[in-house]
Amino acid sequence: MTSLATYRRSVLHAAHLPVYDFLAPSFIQIPRASRVRYISTTRKLAAIPDQSSNTPNPGQSASSNAPSLKKPLTQAQREFLSQAFRVNQAGELAATLIYIAQTPPIVASHPHLRPLMKHMYDQEAGHLETFNTLLAKHRVRPTAMYPIWTIAASALGWGTAIMGREAAMACTEAVETEIGGHYNEQLRVLVDMVEQMEESGEEVGNELKELMSTIRRIRDEELEHLDHAVENEAKQAQPYELLTGIIKAGCRGAIWISERV
Amino acid sequence: MASKIRTLRLRPLNAKPCNRLYHSYEHPPPPGPFNAAETSILTAALPHIPSHGFTHTSLARGAKDAGYIDASTNLFPSGAFSLVHYHLYTQRMALARHKHILEASAADGKPLGVGAKVKALTWERLMGNKEIIHRWQEALALLAQPSNVPTSVSELASLSDEIWFLAGDTSVDTSWYTKRASLSTIYAATELFMTTDKSTDFADTKEFLNRRFTDSQVVGGAVRSVGEWVGFTAHAGLNVLRSKGVRI
Ligand SMILES: [Fe+2]
Ligand SMILES: [Fe+2]
Repeated sequence: MTSLATYRRSVLHAAHLPVYDFLAPSFIQIPRASRVRYISTTRKLAAIPDQSSNTPNPGQSASSNAPSLKKPLTQAQREFLSQAFRVNQAGELAATLIYIAQTPPIVASHPHLRPLMKHMYDQEAGHLETFNTLLAKHRVRPTAMYPIWTIAASALGWGTAIMGREAAMACTEAVETEIGGHYNEQLRVLVDMVEQMEESGEEVGNELKELMSTIRRIRDEELEHLDHAVENEAKQAQPYELLTGIIKAGCRGAIWISERV
Repeated sequence: MASKIRTLRLRPLNAKPCNRLYHSYEHPPPPGPFNAAETSILTAALPHIPSHGFTHTSLARGAKDAGYIDASTNLFPSGAFSLVHYHLYTQRMALARHKHILEASAADGKPLGVGAKVKALTWERLMGNKEIIHRWQEALALLAQPSNVPTSVSELASLSDEIWFLAGDTSVDTSWYTKRASLSTIYAATELFMTTDKSTDFADTKEFLNRRFTDSQVVGGAVRSVGEWVGFTAHAGLNVLRSKGVRI
């Protein structure tokens, strides 16, 4: 938990921004059973965004039912949401592939890590499913770099795993730090967007509210992975700074590209 | 990260007309490419196309019918091409109303599969050109003009996207691209074929279309994404090494 606090502080420090309550993990406000280790509710939760409407129903139909305060989303808002969905899907795809590639070598030499690896993989698979569903539902195209990320993530996972447990955990730590920060950034823009809409008397709607709570939940789970990695001696990896530095830079590059391409 | 918020706020809202962005189910859709005046003139112009073609004459008659003075055709800087664009746009939007396909069931009572819906919707779209097919080569000439190419390409891509979406396809991997590219190619080729088809009820066009679908295997066939293939190959390779006792 100390690492989580340090992490949050460092994010805040880097951003020079006042404290926003959304930065606090949601388990502080809502006691959640899912904090119990090795029990994942991710898959169950992943189905939730789907229930509102699954029938293809594009265009004019959405507006027809109620005379509401809702206005069309602006071009900039739709662009932001499309980019966010695209990059999140790519990130979760990479995360599942990293764990798939890491698990056999790690478990072979450290059998006691099997449940932890499985737990983290299951959560990542749930995240990926969530974003796959959201992309299809909201008609957002996936990144064109899909095959490249597939290869890169598998290579990264496998490469760090054969370097040993510490390197594998350093990889997890580096990736989760970047991803956690990335989700926080998205939440900040979403909070800003929602505030603007409320100020101008627009109705925000469940779609965006649900999206925010989904991202908040996933962000918390990523930070949990970060804790697990640190608990498993990620910092002991040699050469730690170089390894995490390279992986973090790679993540930022991949995020930048996936938002655009 | 602060810069992101700033760009979100500062970016001009009408930077570029780009469809295929986040589709909301709660917020009304963003305005289409045509405003109210343009829509009423273009709608009135459509019935004149079979006799006057995709021309300024049809546009002028539409303006007159809609109660505008003749000069209101100045509203359309791209001239007759606006008629082509409007035809493509309205025909694309009309696909969502084909409930008999979207909610249909096959002979055995099961709902139609994605592939069957893609085929049926593609055919419906082609039939949207039935009344104006003898004029369509004029439209193709306009679509191919360099200044109009971005709109032409974007409309074709939007059509493919619409068909796959309506058919209920939910793939969001590399096949998202291959599916849309294949369907765009098939549609464009069949549309061109249809302009020279003299058979009754466009039977030859239908056969041509079915053959394109069979050749490409884009529906119901074995479309494998590159990523899937690479992943499978790498995985198989690792397993072979593991079976040989290599600890990786
Ligand atoms: Fe994740
Ligand atoms: Fe994670």
